[in-house]
Parts: sequence; C-alpha cells; structure tokens
Amino acid sequence: MIYGGRASGLLYLSPYLVGLAVFTLFPFVASLLLSFSDYRLQDALSAAQLVGFENYAAIVHDRTFGKSLVVTLVYVFVTVPLKLAFALFIAFVLNFRLRGINAFRTAYYLPSILGGSVAIAVVWRYVFAGDGLINQALAVLSANPVNWLGEPAYAMVSIVLLRLWQFGSAMVIFLAGLQGIPADLYEAARLDGASHWQVFRRITVPLLTPVIFFNFIMQVIQAFQEFNGPYVITGGGPLKSTYLLPLMIYEEAFKYFEVGYASALSWCLFVLVAVFTALAFRSSKHWVFYAQERGEGGQ
Amino acid sequence: MSSRESAGFQLRLRYAVLIGVGFVMLYPLLWMIGGAFRPNHEIFNSIGFIPREPTFEGFTKGWRTSTEYTFATYLLNTFAIIVPKVIVTVISSVLVAFGFARFNVPGKRLLFALLIATILLPKSVLLVPQYLMFREFGWLDTFLPLYVPSAFATEGFFVFMIIQFMRTLPAEMEEAAVMDGCNSFQVLTHVVVPVILPAIISVALFQFMWSMNDFLSPLIYLSSVEKYPVALALKLSIDVTEATSWNQILAMSTIALAPSLILFFAAQKYFVEGITVGSVKG
Amino acid sequence: MARSSVQLAGVAKQFGSTVVIRDVTLDIAPGEFVVFVGPSGCGKSTLLRLVAGLEQPSAGAIHISGRDVTHEHPSKRGVAMVFQSYALYPHMSVAENMAFGLRMLGTPKAEIATRVTAAAQTLQLEALLDRKPRALSGGQRQRVAIGRAIVREPDVFLFDEPLSNLDAALRAQVRVEIARLHARLGATMIYVTHDQVEAMTLASRIVVLNGGRIEQIGAPMDLYRLPANRFVAGFLGSPRMNFLPARVAAAGEHGVDLEVAGETLRIARRLAARAGDIVTLGVRPEDLSLAHAQDGAAHNGILRGEVSLLERLGGEALIHVTLRGTQAETLVAKLAGDVSLSARQPIALKLDGAACHLFDDAGRTMT
Repeated sequence: MIYGGRASGLLYLSPYLVGLAVFTLFPFVASLLLSFSDYRLQDALSAAQLVGFENYAAIVHDRTFGKSLVVTLVYVFVTVPLKLAFALFIAFVLNFRLRGINAFRTAYYLPSILGGSVAIAVVWRYVFAGDGLINQALAVLSANPVNWLGEPAYAMVSIVLLRLWQFGSAMVIFLAGLQGIPADLYEAARLDGASHWQVFRRITVPLLTPVIFFNFIMQVIQAFQEFNGPYVITGGGPLKSTYLLPLMIYEEAFKYFEVGYASALSWCLFVLVAVFTALAFRSSKHWVFYAQERGEGGQ
Repeated sequence: MSSRESAGFQLRLRYAVLIGVGFVMLYPLLWMIGGAFRPNHEIFNSIGFIPREPTFEGFTKGWRTSTEYTFATYLLNTFAIIVPKVIVTVISSVLVAFGFARFNVPGKRLLFALLIATILLPKSVLLVPQYLMFREFGWLDTFLPLYVPSAFATEGFFVFMIIQFMRTLPAEMEEAAVMDGCNSFQVLTHVVVPVILPAIISVALFQFMWSMNDFLSPLIYLSSVEKYPVALALKLSIDVTEATSWNQILAMSTIALAPSLILFFAAQKYFVEGITVGSVKG
Repeated sequence: MARSSVQLAGVAKQFGSTVVIRDVTLDIAPGEFVVFVGPSGCGKSTLLRLVAGLEQPSAGAIHISGRDVTHEHPSKRGVAMVFQSYALYPHMSVAENMAFGLRMLGTPKAEIATRVTAAAQTLQLEALLDRKPRALSGGQRQRVAIGRAIVREPDVFLFDEPLSNLDAALRAQVRVEIARLHARLGATMIYVTHDQVEAMTLASRIVVLNGGRIEQIGAPMDLYRLPANRFVAGFLGSPRMNFLPARVAAAGEHGVDLEVAGETLRIARRLAARAGDIVTLGVRPEDLSLAHAQDGAAHNGILRGEVSLLERLGGEALIHVTLRGTQAETLVAKLAGDVSLSARQPIALKLDGAACHLFDDAGRTMT
C-alpha cells in the first residue's frame, strides 16, 4: 500500500533526514576534517589548524597504536569465530523437541542482555581477581591460581570470555534460523538415504548461511567497538595488552585531549571495519545461499 | 546399541550439555547475587554462592554509597535518561518507518541504504565531533545529548525492525481505512500502530536494555556526580573503594541489573520475537 | 439508500509503462448490479479501484451521481468497498469495525449505534458484535465486511472478489445473500469476479474485460446467447463452448456450408461469409445431442467420432469426443446423466444450426 503525497512522505521521514544530517553526516565529515587538524580539546575551535597528514604519519610511527591494533585484531578474530561456533553448537543441541527448551534459551540469552553493562563488567573484575571466582574454581580443581588481571598474557582472556559469555543473542538467531528450515527437507533427505552428516553438510549448513552471514557481520562490527569491558575491567592494561582501539580513541580524545589524533585514529578504525565489511559482503556471493528470492511470499 | 537406546543416549547427552553449559553461564550471576548478601570477608573465601551468614549489610551501606548521594539518586537519573529516550525512539522510529514503508519519496533507495549503513558504522568515528557539537550547543553535563539524537531516529536498527513488521501487514486493511475516511496519519494511529504493537514493544524493550548498558555516552557528557546514572556510579564505586567493600559493590551491581532482569523475565517473548524478525526474516 | 449512477468516460490506467486499462467507457444506471468479469490480469480489479479512488486514472473521468469524482478522496465519493480478504481491523470488535468509518466522518454516536444495529440485524450479526475478527469464521468475517459497507449508506457498493476466500459451500450461500441484499437495498452495486457463475447469477449486466478493454457489455443471457466475439463466447458457460476450425465451402441465401472435422455441415442462417473463408465454429456442449438414424445423412449438422472420456455428474453427463478427420479435434457434449455410452464407442452428434456461432478469423461473431 503506497500513499500518495510525496510531501507527506518527506514529512514522515523528516526526523530521520534531520538526524542523518546533524548527528551522522555532519559529524562524519567533521571527524575527517579534525583528523587533519591539530585541535586540542580544551582550545576554542577557531584555534584549530589544518596540518595535513601529520596525524596519520604519527599513527604509523606510534608503538602504542601498533599494539592497540594488534590487540584489537586478535580480540576480534578470536572472539567472533569462537562466539559464533559456540552459539551455533548450542543452537543445534537445543534444536530438538526438548522439554524446557524455553528455560534453556532464557538462561543463555540472559547474559547477552546484561553482559554489556557496567555492573557485569564490575562483577567480572572480581570474577577474575586474585581470589575471585575463577581462581577459586581452579583451587577446587587443585590447579594454581592465575594472576589474570595482572599478567599481560592473561588479561585478554578476561575480556574475551566476557564477550563469549554473551553468545546468547547470536544463539537465539541461529535457533530461529534452524527452526526456519522446513521439516520436509529433512524428511525427503532421510527418505533418499542421506546420513546425518550429509544432511548437516548439504541441507542445514547451506540453508543457514544467510543467518551465519548476518550474525558474522553484526558480531564483527560489535567486536570492533568494544569499550566497556577493557575500560572497567583492565583499564587497557596491563602494559596495554587489552588496549582495544575504541579505548585508545577515547583516551586520546578525553584524557590526553588530542582530538586531531583521536579523529585520525577513529578514521583508521572506520576504514578497517569498512574494508572488512566490504570483503565479507563480496565473499558472501560465494558461500551464502539464499533459498528464496526476495519479495516472494509463501513458498 | 539399538537405535532407540542411542536416541535415548543422545537425548541425555543433549540435556547434560545444556544443563552443564547453562550452569556455568549463570554462575557468575548467582555468585554476584550471593555475594551481595554476604559480609565482606566471606566473599573471596569460597566458591559456593550461598552465603553462610546472610546479611543486608552490602545493600544498606552500598545504598548510601561513598558519595554524598544515595543510590536512589543514581537510579532516578538513569530513569530520567532512559524513559524519555525510549519514548522518543518509539515515536520517531514508527514515523520514519512508516515514511519508508508506505511512501515513494525521491531518493528513497539511497536514504534506505544510508539507514543500513549507519547500523554498520562504528560509532567511534562520530564520537568526538558529536561531543564538540553538543559543547557548542551548551548541552554538556545535561541529559540532552543522551536522548535527543534518538528523537531523530538515529538508531537505524529500530527503524529497520519496524519496517520489516510493517511489510507483513495486509495492504487491504489500510485501504479499508482509507475508504473509511482516514488520511495517512489516521491510518497510522488508528490501524497500523495497534496492529504492530508487539514490534513497538520489542523496540522499547531493546532500547531500554541498550540504554541501561550505555556507558560511554554518560561518561563523556556528564561531569556532575549528582547527575550520574547507575553505570557511572558503579564505576565510581570501584575506583574509590579499592580492596574493601566488595559486598557493597556486588549489592549495588545487583540492584543496577534488577530493572533489566525484571523486564526481561516479564517480556521475554518480545525480545526473542524482535531479534528474529529483525534478522532472520529480514 | 440512494440509487446512484456511475459513469466512466475514456478511463485509462497505466503503471509505469504497463497499460492495464485502455480506454473504458461505461454507464451504470442507478440500482444496477454490474459485474466486471474476466481472466486474471484483465484489469477488472484495477477498474474497481479506480471507481473506489484507491488508484488515480491516467486519463479519463469518473462521475458518481452526476458529480465528477475523478480526483476526490475515496471517502468522499459515496462509495463503500468490500475487500477480497475482508480487511477487518483485527484489534477492533465487530461493532467497532462497522462504526469506524462513521466515526471518522464525525457522525453522532447515537446515529452510529442505530446504523450499526440495523446493519447487524440485516446480516444476522447481532450476537457477534463484541467479538474480535479472529474469533469469527470466514463467512462471518465476510458479513462483517459487508456490514461495514452497509453502515455507511453509500451510493455505490463495490465488491472485490468477495467470495474468493470462501470454500465452495459457503460461496454458494453468500452469493445468495448478496443477491438478496441487492434486492432489498436496491443500491447500485459493482462486483468484480473471475468466476463466470457468480457473474451469470448475480448481474443485471455483465462487463466482460480482457487485456484492459471491454469485450462486451450486456445482460447475462444476452451475452450467453449472443456473444460478440470468441472470447466472450468461450468465457461464459461451463463447460466451455466448443471451438472447431472450419472452412466455408459455400455461402448463400440457403445458409453456409462448412467443412469441419471431415464432415460437411450446413448452418441454415444467412451469414456474411464467403466461400473459402477460414472460420471457427462454436457450439455449446448443451446444444449437442445424440444423432439417430432418422436424422439422415450429411449436410444436416452431424459430427462423428469416438468417445474418449465420460464424466457422469449425476443429472448430466459430459462426453468427451474425438472427432473423425485428420485433425482429431475434440468436443465436449452435455447429455442426460444416464445416457448409455462407453469409452471408445463410436458416436454421432447432432448440432442445432440455430444455436451455432461462427467466428471470423479475427474472432468476431459473424452475423
């Protein structure tokens, strides 16, 4: 149903148009400009000078940035596959006529709701503290306690586990995707004599690829923007071993007041995410299988 | 073994995995709640979560906080931010979604593509310029930067979700309303909104949850402690109290999570429904 | 309820580059029950929506009760529409559904209540007034949709394939109810369907549409007996009219001699045909009967062949016949239900020359 009146249509869209211009496009362009400036936060805006690619040149030589970049990439490329694999696994286990399926789904989904909060990050700090929950558990298993938050090698584990703990939202989406596969396909395959593994490989996985792709993109983008965990639990340390890029950008802008530099950093992050997303979309043509054309109903 | 035995075994294995994983997943929460009811010295002494000497001390002392304000102030601040935010999000998302779904506006395709693009955009890029902009407006240390952008449908995910719901509506229902004398706005308010109410509730719930967890925005915009929402107050509490009153911190964390927990259990199906329509069917 | 006329003058509609309605001109008299009928995609629903105001014509004008409503809002045209899917408001009760249009018009509450009660009585919906649509059956929902239209006391009722979503038994029942409703209200009604049975039984006049054009307009029996072209002839009537290719052997005052299916037949009517014309012979299944020995030899309308399939329906039987002759054309004849025939039995059919139709190579009926 399409209503006539382009003017009305524009009126309905007007909040979005204003918001897009004021809160998205303008800041977007402004941040690019700022990245070419030497602006410091406490100055008046008029004092800012354009300095060309100075900030970007500085980034290339910045050891901290190098460390942050590596740490961020490790974080993303470790958490995303693990989280997706685990979510998919649990979705499979759950996709059965089990009693209490809703209770389980709730139990797994709950951490996703709470996990992004400061409260949980705070709790996490104690879970990984010297005499916190994890080390208590290790003690029960007669293993030695680990200095999670004090050792550069182990601090990352705490924030990785925080993200993995929130696999529930991805799992719910996978579950819905699994339940959307028509049962007749499985029956037909079974009648044709297919084994469980064959069914999994040739029916389930191909039909799940759109959902996997969607989850993949969403998880990567969220992972690149993780802030609460590092900020609250580790402060980016020890020795910048958990100094994810969003945290670095925040500190450069609001702790060291180097707005120009921070803007350049944020654009590096943006380009990184954009390139990655574009590659993912391009690759999707080869492995994502859409079972039905958009716009068709039924079938 | 026979196929029935192996099916039974498989079932038990499933349950074992699910229960085991579920238990491990929920344990930190149980530990947190348990710790909130413990005297301080007990927290790091055992792995069990049931307090041996249950007490409300964590709550009473924690509520007073080590600042000049009680936790009540922080809770009120949180709601003072979130309630307007949720309301304006719902209103603007519905209006904008209706515009996209039901009108042929020049450049609609481009605008829609931009909507999707903003969902995928890392927000760090916009962080500093938005801050500077709000500083120019004189809105620093107020709640305005925290909810005004939502009044302009800046969170594309919600608009997208409502558009998807609107697509499932039968066209003839709205045509009947037109025949009954409604202009587009009346069709929206009298017919469309009541029918897509589940989607609207989902949007409200998600925005509520996300906003409860939002930390970075209050962090950069609010400087007066009296305006702190719960998120900032909690962070403050662990900065200030280094090695001492964990039970207070855990107690306040529990309270901080309580609204989300309650809402989640009350409205579970809307969460699941909302996610799946936005993603799987989209 | 007012009896009103509807005039369409040169109405055309295209969506982008697709032309859906080409130049339709039509006058509907007050109180008429006009049925737009035709195959899928013929434009009948679009034409109805143009009258309703849900679409704007690309060209032409629409008048209702003498008023030019071409650019008027649907609610100001004095029309009410019954949709194929009923289109009830799911969150409102039956009573609220029916009252909604009047509420939008600002009608006083008392008046609304009176009209809703009256309509509910007419349609036997009184017991259902407080129910929501999801608690109603298909037939009940359809009646609510009709009630919603009645309540507005429109000048013209518009029905968009209202019976399509009902099962067969219900369809026959609601069809009768709609006919009775028309008799009772005497209002002008425009009804769209693809089902020729509904068209034949309900219409005072039928408009047959094809490809956005009007093929023929007329009373049902007029269209049935005197179709203007092959399309109309083949559309109305079930089972469909039989079409056989034929060649005119001779034509004159005595009639027309045709070579068809290996036989020679005479149509004893003067028609504007010439020897050598390639034509199509049309004969309805019910106009075929078993030929007996005394019907004599050729020239008198006998077709011979073999029974290929028998469909016994009880009161009548449909006999599929493969005709003699090189082309092996098939015919369907409607005979008595207990006719003693069996498959592969040779059969001779007699046709009534007066009831035959002849179509020229452009499909027009020859006269």
